[in-house]
Amino acid sequence: MPNYLDALPALVEGIEAILETVITNVVLIGQIPAPTFREKRRIQTVLDRMAELHVDEATTDGYRNPIGIIRGTDRSKPPIFVVAHLDTFSTNEEEVHYTVGKNSVTGPGITDNSLGVGVLISLPELFRRLGLRFSSDIVLAGVIQSLGRGNLRGIRHLLKTWSTPVRGAVVIEGIELGRLNYYCDSMIRSEIECRIPTDRNVDSRFRTNAVLVLNEVINQILQLRMPQRPNTRVVFGKVSAGVKHGDIALNGRLGLEIQSKEDRMVRSVHSDIRDIVEGIGHEWKADLQLRTVSNVHAARLPFAHPLVKAGSAILKRLGLKPVSSHSESELSIFLARGIPALTMGITRGTNYHLENASMEIRPMPTGIGQVIAAIMAIDAGVCDEVKLA
Amino acid sequence: MKSSWLDTNTFHYSDFADLEELVALKERKGLSISLCLPTLNEEQTIGKEVLIMRSELMTRYPLLDEILVIDSDSTDRTREIAAAFGAKVHLASEILPRMESFRGKGENLWKALYIAQGDIIVYIDADIKNIHHRFAFGLLGPLLRTDTIKYAKAFYDRPIAAGKNKLRPTGGGRVTELVIRPMFSLFFPELTMILQPLSGEYAGYREILEKIPFPIGYGVETSMILDIRERWGMDVIAQVDLEKRVHRNQDTKALGKMSFVILKTFLNRVERMGVLDIRSPLHDEMIQYQLEGDRGFRPDPFLVRGLERPPMIQVPEYRSKFKVQDAQEAMV
Repeated sequence: MPNYLDALPALVEGIEAILETVITNVVLIGQIPAPTFREKRRIQTVLDRMAELHVDEATTDGYRNPIGIIRGTDRSKPPIFVVAHLDTFSTNEEEVHYTVGKNSVTGPGITDNSLGVGVLISLPELFRRLGLRFSSDIVLAGVIQSLGRGNLRGIRHLLKTWSTPVRGAVVIEGIELGRLNYYCDSMIRSEIECRIPTDRNVDSRFRTNAVLVLNEVINQILQLRMPQRPNTRVVFGKVSAGVKHGDIALNGRLGLEIQSKEDRMVRSVHSDIRDIVEGIGHEWKADLQLRTVSNVHAARLPFAHPLVKAGSAILKRLGLKPVSSHSESELSIFLARGIPALTMGITRGTNYHLENASMEIRPMPTGIGQVIAAIMAIDAGVCDEVKLA
Repeated sequence: MKSSWLDTNTFHYSDFADLEELVALKERKGLSISLCLPTLNEEQTIGKEVLIMRSELMTRYPLLDEILVIDSDSTDRTREIAAAFGAKVHLASEILPRMESFRGKGENLWKALYIAQGDIIVYIDADIKNIHHRFAFGLLGPLLRTDTIKYAKAFYDRPIAAGKNKLRPTGGGRVTELVIRPMFSLFFPELTMILQPLSGEYAGYREILEKIPFPIGYGVETSMILDIRERWGMDVIAQVDLEKRVHRNQDTKALGKMSFVILKTFLNRVERMGVLDIRSPLHDEMIQYQLEGDRGFRPDPFLVRGLERPPMIQVPEYRSKFKVQDAQEAMV
């Protein structure tokens, strides 16, 4: 049995003993707001904390992603990346305050992804206390501008400008323990914006209604034929319009994602939606714009890849059933560059993207243990033999 | 007024951010340090306070030797949560059971002296939302680094200068600016250099804390400053900028009660010091009024007995527990 599997019980026990330091990091980082594009204060806090926790180097790359490097013992080995996105869905720019309960931490952004960042910056201390050394350098990166319109810019820039090969990577997400992501679907995230032109000659009561225009757009998209193979779908995720209940809505916005196993299908559906938008805009005399917010290409590790097998074995050894689904996170950028990578979750939680988001403390040692074991597996060479196409 | 005190005895917490140095100083001087958190229904904040202090100042840097929670019979999960994160939790009412028990922050701080083992006691309020370990190490810095300093008090929000030629208020709360600062200015101008005399965070050597009386309620911060200044002078006092502190806000009515208690403590002190001759006894009731219906006013009296605990060193149980031998030590 590989060493990293043998080590798991002791790892989890060791992490349990120093869990308070990890939770402290989660709280201290999480209380610093970091809406996408406005992560400056959290970047500085992460750098300060990394320096306090004695990484060998703490710096930022040219895009201001904060990076900590723990030097390995063998300079010939490429580095292993461990990343967690720094930004949160919460748009609050004021300092937030978490509540620490007996088995929970509650507050905005805790699950996505303050918990992941807290674990990331705790790794140097965890490695030291657990007596772990690696042959590869471990590059800890809190990547910025990941969510929504951020379009994974932080990780894209980091990997684009990184000058050496990368041995493998682990992406940390706060939630949900047991996830094992090793593939990502092709995706285009778009917004359709509708504005009704103001015409003084038209009584406001008889103007075109942006809600009805967007409703027509939705109806026509729903009539598109979506193949089951390759599996393709359109997800309507956000909608907003109007000002008052009794007034015709003169503007509105619809957010959607086109997802498929194959890039060509996403492009095809996107082209169909563009036609729909142009047609409805013309016929309804509305200013209708389709904008692409972000996109990722389909990429995957085969299930038989040694890293996936190792990840699966780690989870099973910890008594967890691996749950796999597509993930459009940082994972997609690693895979698109031919770097083997996994996404793992640390614990369980509730109200993920609400002000009262909450995470459980008790499962954390297991979640952290699996991440460390995955790093050990990469360091043991599970990514060295198989090259991705 | 010796304005040089402001220059020599005012610090910023970042002056003491080298925690290894503080631990080395503590060990070289053979000191032990207790952190005391007085609580009453603080389940929203107590877990975070104990967690962060324990992680950063016990596990990572052994600066604190114990974290004590002295609780006033909380009815929420304060004690359970504090214990789960490793604090030693005590009910104030069960400490020194021979004596009558009272309820109040000062009572808890006073009883902490009996429970705590440390040579230095750090007192931090338990309702701080943005708690950070700087609240403790910032206060400990002057005590460990400068032999003459025996008591350190917090202030917040970078008060004096906000930039070149820009001045801001001192950041004191309403009670500080409307009650305490005018009184200090009238009677003890040098105490106005203490920028936030009512801040709830301070640390001191046991050797002085055990020798001063503790009002059982809000007056404890005021009396502590007056008594320490009177007995040992300003030079044993330091103040430390801990930057931002976020806590619960109190309404004006509650601040009125607080002001009453503080004024009473203050006036009793100045009379005892012979500074003021008060010819008739001070009343025990703060009387506020509430509107009742359209035109009625209902008095809402608030009784303050103004009780004080004696210097802890005079308590036989304490003398026995800490083996206080020298009769002179008991003279206050």
